[in-house]
Amino acid sequence: MKTKLFLTILITMLLVLDVQILFAQEMTKEQWQQEMSQYTAKRNDLKAKLDKLNSDIKNLQDQSKKLDADVATCHDNLLKLLGVTQAEYDAFIDELTRYENRTNELMRLSDEELLKYRDEVMNMDKRVTEMAKHNIAMIPRIKSRIEKLQANIASLKKTLEKEKTYTVGTWAKDRDCLWNIAKKKDIYNNAWLWPKIWQGNKDKIKNPDIIKPKWVLKIPTGAELTKEEKAAANSYYRKKKEAAEPTQ
Amino acid sequence: MVKRSGILIATAISASLFLSACTSRPSEEELRQLNDLKAEVSALEKQVPDKEKEKAKLEKEVAEKNGKLQECQDDQAAVRKALGQ
Repeated sequence: MKTKLFLTILITMLLVLDVQILFAQEMTKEQWQQEMSQYTAKRNDLKAKLDKLNSDIKNLQDQSKKLDADVATCHDNLLKLLGVTQAEYDAFIDELTRYENRTNELMRLSDEELLKYRDEVMNMDKRVTEMAKHNIAMIPRIKSRIEKLQANIASLKKTLEKEKTYTVGTWAKDRDCLWNIAKKKDIYNNAWLWPKIWQGNKDKIKNPDIIKPKWVLKIPTGAELTKEEKAAANSYYRKKKEAAEPTQ
Repeated sequence: MVKRSGILIATAISASLFLSACTSRPSEEELRQLNDLKAEVSALEKQVPDKEKEKAKLEKEVAEKNGKLQECQDDQAAVRKALGQ
């Protein structure tokens, strides 16, 4: 009996609780009013913010258009002052950029590899010197680019002017003589240039037929014999010929 | 005893239902209004960051163009000076 009564009370309490929860989930008019006010205020703030943003964007777009026109006019006036056309200006800048890139490439080469591009470096130096005298080089930022390029070319030239050396090995092992040394690929790759080594090392080499192991020889630059080197070579060949002829 | 309990339970249910029934509730139309308002706020909230981004991009563009113009004007001044004008 007692258990039955207890269960009845429990079920009833649960039912009442359910009904309360059901009603609690629904919004009251007051809550609705509160939320409406809250969201209306939020919407108005957002609208005001967006209006301000749109207006700022419009102003910036106008400013941007005006600046485009101003920059174009300024550039045209600059070209008139310099007395050059847009095409000439573009060609000058392209050429400058090309030399800048090429110089950077050459600066990454080893000293030996760079030797192959001696003529290119010299021609570039000549052309950049001419460019530095052009009216366009009066523009400060172009001038500073040209100056930097000239400094890089000067550094390349300094490397090219550095003398290469060769340490003489033994005849038995290395077959080193001036002819064979000049013939080496990394020296001149041309045996006929041996007098260059002789004339460049006159302090050591008194007789070109005699060089001693461990001598450090300077390897002068250049792809051809100079007048003095040719004269020295001719004198050497003449003496050799005379020595070979039978005495009467 | 059982009788008393029954009366108590009946009173509790009646009181609960009475209280719930007496509370004022918004109409369907009013609830729809609130939902529409919430949706509108949500849409506006999404627009703000896009507009802010667009504004920032334009500000950067304008600053760059101002820099270009200044640079060009400086170039002109330097060239005039070099030409002795």
